[in-house]
Amino acid sequence: MDGNLEISLDKLPIKRLESIEENGVERYPSDSSYDEKRVSLIRRIDFAWALEDDEERERKKRQKKSSKDASATWQWQSMVENLQLAHQELSVIIDLINTVDANDAVTVAGMTRPKPLPNEVLSDLAVSAATKLQCYRQLGKYFKQSAKALEEQIAREARFYGALIRLQQNWKVKRQRLAAAASSSEGFIIDLFDNSLYDSAAMCRPSSLSTIRVDHDSAGMLAINLPPNSCRSLHFGFLGVHSADIPKELGKIRTRGSVEQCTREREKESMSDDEYIKETHTLLREVHQSIFDDQVFEMLNREAFNQSIGVNVTGIRENYLQLSIGQGNTLFISLVPSGKGDDQDAANTQDSESAIVPLDSFDNVKLEGKHGTSKRKWGFPNRTSCEIYLQQIVHEHAFVKAKDKPNLSGTRVSGQSGKDGPGLLGHFCLSLAHRIFSNRVLVELENVVCRVPYLHLMTHPTWHSQTSSWTIFLKVPQSILHAESQSLKSDFQNMKDAVKSQFRTKVVVNDDRINVEGDGAPNVVSLFKRSSENISSVNKYECDLADLPVIILLQGDTVSLVAHVNPEDIKGGIAWWLVMEDGSPDDWKLQMDMYDGASEYRKFLGHLTLDVLYSTLMDLVSLCGGGRNH
Amino acid sequence: MDSPTQNTSLRRLQNVEKRIVRVLELAGGVMDELANPTGPRKEFINNHCREFMKMIKDIQVTLRDEIKSACEYRPFEKCDYSSRISNEICCKKLEYVLFQLDAMKQTIDEYQATV
Repeated sequence: MDGNLEISLDKLPIKRLESIEENGVERYPSDSSYDEKRVSLIRRIDFAWALEDDEERERKKRQKKSSKDASATWQWQSMVENLQLAHQELSVIIDLINTVDANDAVTVAGMTRPKPLPNEVLSDLAVSAATKLQCYRQLGKYFKQSAKALEEQIAREARFYGALIRLQQNWKVKRQRLAAAASSSEGFIIDLFDNSLYDSAAMCRPSSLSTIRVDHDSAGMLAINLPPNSCRSLHFGFLGVHSADIPKELGKIRTRGSVEQCTREREKESMSDDEYIKETHTLLREVHQSIFDDQVFEMLNREAFNQSIGVNVTGIRENYLQLSIGQGNTLFISLVPSGKGDDQDAANTQDSESAIVPLDSFDNVKLEGKHGTSKRKWGFPNRTSCEIYLQQIVHEHAFVKAKDKPNLSGTRVSGQSGKDGPGLLGHFCLSLAHRIFSNRVLVELENVVCRVPYLHLMTHPTWHSQTSSWTIFLKVPQSILHAESQSLKSDFQNMKDAVKSQFRTKVVVNDDRINVEGDGAPNVVSLFKRSSENISSVNKYECDLADLPVIILLQGDTVSLVAHVNPEDIKGGIAWWLVMEDGSPDDWKLQMDMYDGASEYRKFLGHLTLDVLYSTLMDLVSLCGGGRNH
Repeated sequence: MDSPTQNTSLRRLQNVEKRIVRVLELAGGVMDELANPTGPRKEFINNHCREFMKMIKDIQVTLRDEIKSACEYRPFEKCDYSSRISNEICCKKLEYVLFQLDAMKQTIDEYQATV
């Protein structure tokens, strides 16, 4: 053989790994079919070398032969022999093809594995090792990617579920799995409906606000989306009275809700999670209160048309109820979207065409001294306190179970409305009417007391919403007592024992009836009935309450008029007691008329000179008919 | 904020999650080490595998404890919504009283200023 050795390489007939999967399963190429094997075998038959070898051998034989037989038939002989050989080979092939054609079950009996060369072994090993390393590397990358993704997801979910758990401490969180399947969120909702109501028959309709869906925001954090102005709050007011509200503080929580919606998205990044959860919590509180206010309003509406005492409906609109509580006072209750209370108030009052009298609320009366011009007689209770009171009584009646109710006899209100008694709303209106009246009484009492240093006014809490009570103390300072006893010792021997240094008068107002009692004289009771339809006859009214101060000071069993004049006391330590014997009010009116400016005795004190006082007192003494001045 | 038991239980479950992440990281590290062309370092692999097994065991123990101690879910036996409303009303009362007190204080200050 000469020249170039041709080498053809086959793949070793071993099963080679085609691929390996993530879970370690190894894939081999599928076995080729029977026909394919045959065809591949046939293809591999390459007789070129055989031919050449044969040729070589033939040539050698011929050369040997030809050395013997050298001459004529040399060319032809080799050709013939080649052809014979070719013929043999061809017949082999034809046989093979015929067999294949006949489809006999011819199997490869065996094939001796050609002995692998050493570098083949190593290269195989290297290839498989490299493949495995590659697989490991891919696995490693996959694991690390999964770890990172899982970590991010955990962080995101921790934030969401952490917030949800904190909200769950205060609110009921429920889950609807079917809804979760439909939408992309997990189907959490917050349920604000209270199903443990005392009077469940009355309020069994949950409002649309009472289930709130928990959404995810863009960062995966918990988010609650409410339509704006969906929260409504109860608003109370007196018609015609544009009272100054507690401006910022009470409105703070209400307006927060409407402001919240628009600024939430912008400010979320700047807020920490804690603050955000607190904001959400506040929002839920607001919704919860709004649901309660809705229920309150609904209940009031129901009661208003049940003909109870003290309630007269004078106007009704959507979310607006107007009631008249007598004496010309009208109040309204309405539901307004949160944060818009005051505007609504002004709008309503203008609608009803009543003059808006700008008055400060009554409780600021002390500040009014500066302003001076406000009419104190018509002081209304602060509208915020009325609102709170209304909410409280509704809540206690309807929501608190009977055994948990506080045992206050005065505030127990029967829920039954109707002919047999005032219902909830009736009770409220009566209380308000009483409050307005008692404010007027208080004005009068304060006028009596405010300029006299020895008179003290004390208010007694009665724990009853339709009763008010005050006591006026008249305290005589000791100096006057002693001086009195010194100068008038001879005349007033008994007086030392009988003189009292304190006089007490009690004023009780029940609804609109005033009841005055003097100290030590439970029998001497002056009763003033103030009829509710006499508002037009102002004189009488004024008279009644104007009598009040006089009557207060003129009550007592043993009443004597003592005037102490202490000429040495220049500072004007004048005190005088009106201590008179019992008599009818008419007598005193008479005497008061005699008294120069008797109705203005409070001015009289302290401004009058000593001798004038003395002289007037002496007149009075003589008028008393010589009764002993004790 | 929340009761201690709930706090630690939640914390333990969060730790389980973190451990799972760590376990995955370890597996990735081992694989990378095995893919090292110069051959894996034995101690490295040993350490990682040891830590892996330990963590798996921790996870298993914690999860078993938590599952055992998880109490039955009783939904909303006692609803406190009505007392919540009472509290809201009390808050409003307090705000009102504060307002009144502030007004009183202002009056006193003004009085003292004029005097």
